[in-house]
This record gives sequence, C-alpha cells and structure tokens, in this order.
Amino acid sequence: MAEAAPEVREAPVRANGAADATPPAAPQAAPPKTNNNAPPPRATPGSFIIVRDRFTIYCDKALPSLDMPNAQAFEVSDRKQEGRPLYALVCKPEMLPRVSVMRTLKGHEMAHMLHMVDWGIAEWPPIERKCVIVIYHRPMGGRLMDSMAGSAKRIPDHMFPKTVIKPLAEALAELGQKGITHRAIRPDNLYYMDEAQTNIVLGDCVTSVPACDQPAVLETIESGMCIATARGSGTYADDMYALGATLLMLAIGRNTLNGVPDSEIIRRKIKDGSYSTLVGDERMPVSLIECFRGLLTDDIQQRWKPENIELWLAGKRLTPVQARSESQAQRAFKFADQEFHSIRPLAYAMFQNWDKAGAIIADGTLEIWIRRGLEVAELADAVAAAIKNSRAMPGAGKDHEDITICRVLMVLDPRAPVRIRDFRVALEGLGGALAVATLGKQKLQPFVDFINRELWRHWVAAQTMFNADNMQWETVFKDLRNYLKDPNSGAGIERCVYELNEWMPCLSPLIADQYVMEVKAVLPALETASKAANIKMWPVDRHIAAFMRARYAKGVSTQIDAMNDPRPDRATIGMLSVLAIVQWRLGPETLYSLASWVGGLMGPVINAYQSRPKRKEIEREMPKLIRKGNLAEIYNYLDNPEERQRDAEGFAWAKAEYAAAEKQAFDLEHGQADQQESAIKSGRQSGAIGAIVICLITYTIFLVSKVF
Amino acid sequence: MAKVPVRPMAAPAGKARSNAFLYVLLAAGISFAIIPTIVVLSVALIPTGVALLVERGKGWYAGATIGALNMAGAAPFLTDLWTKSHTVDGAIAIITSLWAWLVIYGAAGFGWALYSTMPAVVGSFMAMTAGRRITALRDQQKELVQKWGPDVESVYEPEQKIKAAGSTNAIAAMAADIED
Repeated sequence: MAEAAPEVREAPVRANGAADATPPAAPQAAPPKTNNNAPPPRATPGSFIIVRDRFTIYCDKALPSLDMPNAQAFEVSDRKQEGRPLYALVCKPEMLPRVSVMRTLKGHEMAHMLHMVDWGIAEWPPIERKCVIVIYHRPMGGRLMDSMAGSAKRIPDHMFPKTVIKPLAEALAELGQKGITHRAIRPDNLYYMDEAQTNIVLGDCVTSVPACDQPAVLETIESGMCIATARGSGTYADDMYALGATLLMLAIGRNTLNGVPDSEIIRRKIKDGSYSTLVGDERMPVSLIECFRGLLTDDIQQRWKPENIELWLAGKRLTPVQARSESQAQRAFKFADQEFHSIRPLAYAMFQNWDKAGAIIADGTLEIWIRRGLEVAELADAVAAAIKNSRAMPGAGKDHEDITICRVLMVLDPRAPVRIRDFRVALEGLGGALAVATLGKQKLQPFVDFINRELWRHWVAAQTMFNADNMQWETVFKDLRNYLKDPNSGAGIERCVYELNEWMPCLSPLIADQYVMEVKAVLPALETASKAANIKMWPVDRHIAAFMRARYAKGVSTQIDAMNDPRPDRATIGMLSVLAIVQWRLGPETLYSLASWVGGLMGPVINAYQSRPKRKEIEREMPKLIRKGNLAEIYNYLDNPEERQRDAEGFAWAKAEYAAAEKQAFDLEHGQADQQESAIKSGRQSGAIGAIVICLITYTIFLVSKVF
Repeated sequence: MAKVPVRPMAAPAGKARSNAFLYVLLAAGISFAIIPTIVVLSVALIPTGVALLVERGKGWYAGATIGALNMAGAAPFLTDLWTKSHTVDGAIAIITSLWAWLVIYGAAGFGWALYSTMPAVVGSFMAMTAGRRITALRDQQKELVQKWGPDVESVYEPEQKIKAAGSTNAIAAMAADIED
C-alpha cells in the first residue's frame, strides 16, 4: 500500500484559492450515534494537511453531518480538480478500519455507492499521530435518515422500488461481484448524492470493523447476539437482511423499535420472527410486503438474494417465503419466570439468565424436558453428551459451569455465536474483536480463554449444516494456541492479534502513533521514534517482534529466535540481526538515529568478547559504524565468527595458562615441608660430596709434593 | 625316561679352609706392614667414629662429611709417615704431637660445621628461588587477567582436597540416606 505523504502547514489566509474552492456544506444534520462517549479530538485552528500532493484536508473544518461512528468528517479540496465536492473521514485510532476493502474500492466508481476517491495514512495534527484517512465524494443531499432515532422523509410507495430498492440492490450486487460485504447498511448510512435528493447511495463501510456500528435491530438474530466488534465480515445474506431492515424502516419512515433494548429486540425476533418484530403494529404497503418478507426471513437458505430483488422488480411473482416452524412442546418448560414451548427462545433466555441456567442443566430437567416434553431424542442425547464431556474435562468451579452452559447453548442453538457469559463472538469476528480490544487497551483474558478452551471446536461440532468455511478453523486455532503457549517475543496474544488481522497496525508503544501496517515501514518509524525514545529500551519489543513474525516470517524467524536466547549477548545480537536483516532487505539505506540507539545497546555483545584489547578496539570502531547508519554493517562487524572463534580459543588458552601458573604457585607455596626435607637432604649430600672432594684433593697435593 | 637329578658337588672342605687361611695370612701381612698408619688413623679418626655413632640411622652423610675432612686433616702427617719412616715410632711421634691433633681434629670440626650448615644454606637458596618463581607466576597471571578479564581466573584445588571434599559429601549423602 502506498502511504500518503503528508505535509502539515499553517492554514492559508482566506484569500488562498484552496479555501474558497471548498464545496458548499451539506445540509446540517445530527451525527449518527457513536459507539463511545469519548469527546472528539479538538481540531487545531488554522491548520491543514496535504495528502499525495493533491488533497488538502482542513483540520479546522469539520463536517459533523457526515461523521461516522468511528470516523470524523472534514472538508477536502482537490488541487487537480478545483471545486470537486469531496470530504475526508479520519478514522479513530482505537478502531481498526477495513483496509482490504479500501484497497478494493479505491478509485472504483460504483453505481449507488459512495465513491472512494483515495485513502492513505497521514499525520493528523489534532491528535498528533498518524491516522487512516479516507477521501470520498461528498454527498450533497445529506443522509436519508439523520440518525436511527430520527425519521425519514416518506417516499411514495409506488416510487419506493425504483428510487430506493433498485439502486441499493444494484450496489449490493456489484459489491458481491467484488467479493465484498458492506456490513454497514442502515438508514443513517444512506445518502442522497445530489441536492435534488434523487440519487441514493450506500455510505462508508470501511472506517470500522465489519458491522461494528450496526444496531442489533438491523442485524440478523445471530449477528445481533454478538458483541458489536465480533460480528465478522459475514455473508451477502447478512447484507440482504440489513438491506431489508433498512428498507422497511425507510418505508415506515422511522425505526419502530427505537428505544427497545437490543436483548428484547433479539428475543422478539426469535419468538415472532424478524419481519413481524420490525413491522410491529405498522401498516405496510402491500406491494412491498413480499420483498421485505423475502429479505427479512430468518432462514438464511430462503433469504432473498440480489437476483430475487431483480426478478421482483421486473414484476415476477416469487414463491412466498414460508417460515419454518420450530418443534413445539405440548408441555411448557418453566425457566426464569417464563414458559417456553420451543428450544431457541429457551436457549436465548438461558443465555440472558446465565446464573440460573446452570441449575436446569445440572439437575437434568432441561434434558428430560427435551426428551419427553419436546420429544426430540437426538437433541436430548446431544445435550447429555455435551454435559458429560464438559464434566469430564479438567477444571472445577464456576469456570467449569460456564463451559458446560456454553456447550449446551451451542447444542440448543447452533446458529448462535459462541456465548460464554458476556463474551459473544462469531468465529470469523474473533480477529476484529481482538483487534479492537487491543487497540482500546481492554482486557484480553476472555480471548485467551476462548482460544485455550477450544470452544470453537465444540461450536463447529454442534453445527447441523455443513459449511466448508469451518474447515479452516482447525489450522487457525491450532496456530493460535501454539502462539499463546509460547512465552517468547514474537508469540503470545500479540501474535494472535496480527495473525488474525491482516492490516492491523503495529501497536508497539514506540511506533503506535505512526500507524505502521507494513514491515518496511517499521524501521523508518523506529528511526523517528528513536529521537524521543528511552534509549535503554530495546527497539524491538514484543509487539514489533510479533508484528514482524506475522508479516515477514520467512525473513526474520531465525533472528527473532536468536533474540529470545537466554544469554544476554546472543539475545542482543539477535535483536540487532532482526533490524539489520529488515534494513538490508527492505531498506532504508541509512538509519542514523536508530543505529545510534542500537549501538548503545550493544554492551552485552561487546562484553561477550573476552579479550580486553578487542573490546577496546570495538568501542573505538563502533562510532564510525554508527555514523554510517547501516545496521547490517554493525551486525557483521560485531558477529564476526572468525573473530569470535579466535577470541574463544585465546580465552581457553589463557585460562589454561592461568590454571597452570596457579598450580605451580600453589605447589611452590604449599610445598615448604617437602622443600625443607629436600633442602636438608640436598645440603647433607652436597656437604659429603664436597668433603670427599676436599679429602681427595688434599691427599693428591700432599702425595705429589712428597714424591716430587 | 626320567632323568636322575644331579646333585651339585660340594667343594672340598680342605681347599676352602686353605683359601681362608691364605686371606688371613695376607691380611695379617698387610696389617703388619701398615701398623704405623693404623696407629695414626685409630687416634685420628675418633671424631669420625663419634659422628657415625651420634648420627646413626640418619644415613651416611655425617660419617662421609666428617670422615672425609678428618682424613683430609690427617693427610699431611700420613703422607709424611709414608714417605719418610713408616715406623711405629714415627706414628707415635705424630699422635703425640699437639700440632697434629689440632690439625686433624680441627679438620674434623670443620666437617661437623659443614654437615650442620649445608642444609640451611641449601634451604635458603631454594626458598629464594621459589619466591622469585612465585612472583613471576603472579605477574603472568595478572597480565592474563588484564587481557582477558577476571573470568580467566581459576582456583587450584589439589587432588587430595577434592578427594577429601568428595568423601565428605559421600558421608553426608550416606547420613541423609540413613535419616530417610
């Protein structure tokens, strides 16, 4: 991905043409409901950024009417096409945008879809960090509905199919062809592109994880049960459902379930069906009922597809959707002060009354009711097996009971997400939820437990319908468990985050504010960070190691393994090797600040050389290498195998020499008794020899003198 | 056919007796010939005899040192006796000479002194050499530490110590076993 090259300057004076070229503001309207209550970042007055040398984004010209729940809208002017109506959505750093979808949608002008002109990452002065910025064509007619609590302008029934249903169905069909699900179809995310309010378009779908901003009323029962961030990309069927719910609200002119809690909406949908729940007591235009029923059916097999809408628009009568009725028991099952005659409402009530659900599972009343009251022996057997298997697993107490309830709920309602107390995730939504939780610095233990307990396996086993997509989870979760087991850098929950989210930015505190999504951007980001970082810290922390391993496993695995070596010198050289190999392969050529930072951390590596003269030599050479800014050169110099071998051999020789000297000195110092004995013996010997020699000489002299 | 063992033939008793007689006769002849020398030596070598008696069981060094110098002290008188008049009178003249006693016993005394001081002299010399060697070794070790750091250092433990430690551990292990 090509990153935007930002330029931050003071705002031009009003006389500057750029400011004048801004398009007229869209009709002011209240921004849609946001997911968190954090105050929006304050824009620095009088500043703007220029992206790609083309788009000027005005930090002080917010467009609240075009805000998204997780992105703020600002005015944009295009240098190449003055007067072109554009606006920018600046994504909140605590939300993970759908970058893969951005890459597909960028530049593609799709009919009835808000046109994404460009996107990129740029420094955003109001919060002094880099953010993802998406530039869209600006809708001039405003939103169809200002908010989910608001009301929509009624469109005449006879015009509704042509002006609303047709364009939106076409947009979804086109998205489907590109393999993209929108997952943000709701009345307050539909816009009139023209001021005359004739051209309806689907709004942004990339500024948050899929379906995160969707109210439960617009989501299928199963998706609505999930925590908002854990809904996953879903399928086109999910988009069709959201479209149906959105159209129904537009047809009625308001959200009939406004103010009703999500849990109650889901309960009603399970009990009465989605269509009935959404319509309530309202009178629906007869001509539209068939379409809405088709789109809002809870049976995914029967739900309408874009081609069904096309046929319906062409006037063809389709087979009416028949709701499949669930097995009903003659005898009601009493639970939590309510009576239940079928399984799914009971399962949802059990989830809602989690602490009471354990009792009916433990005392067997649930299983007996299913077997005798509902007369579904297979389901009763499955419940019994789930309970038995859960009890056979190691563990005890509340945690064990939670797992049992979770598994029983999977059996009772296989289509529902994995639910364990407040943790409710669709398997494909796990990555997004984990990413948002990590970005928001929330507790990650539920995710760790979810992966370690292998709840996914039981969920897949509980599915009654075969889904080929479920085959992938075995490999995915096996890897995730292995990462969690590994306490080293490059693994752990951090690795899970990056493995599950292809475009997750690196969350290392060192470079988090630089929104690094690619390995080649890590070193430049560290170079920037090194100017203010604590130089006693390693530049490769757990997040950077996990990020690199997830994105560049072939390139850095060996080096990260070395970094985890328990010996400080090997670990330090491993850390250097990680950075060196990335610089060598991906650039940039020079990293002066980072080289200086890393050079200062090389103490253990230098000290690993036993030879003091060698250490001094390295200390003399290091500043020269640092000035070159090439980490690979530093690495090659410090990790020279021949030098190391020579040093090791020299050290071994010196040790042996020291030991030999020590032994000799010991012998000399501690052998005094033997020495004294030896001295006495030697002294007496030499005395005797000397005396004999004197004797012989004396006799020789005297004899010779007498004879001659 | 088994061989009949041949018993070595005993030397005839008469011939052996005649040989011994021959040796005694020879010795008696020589002794008779050197009586003056024997007379002088019997008096002169008294310090040597004393040394042999006093230092018996400590090797032959005392006897050899004192004896050799004792003999060296007697050398002027014995050579004089041998070359001038090898007679008993000559021998008596020597042993009655105060000068001869002074020289011979003085030499023996020097032998005692030599025997007593040499171990100390050699000991001092050896100690001095060892001290220099230890200093040289310590200097060498210091250089090694300067070049390779304190990791190069090691403590020498003689085998006896290691064995002793090992045996202590073994005893401790046994005691622990018994307690268990």
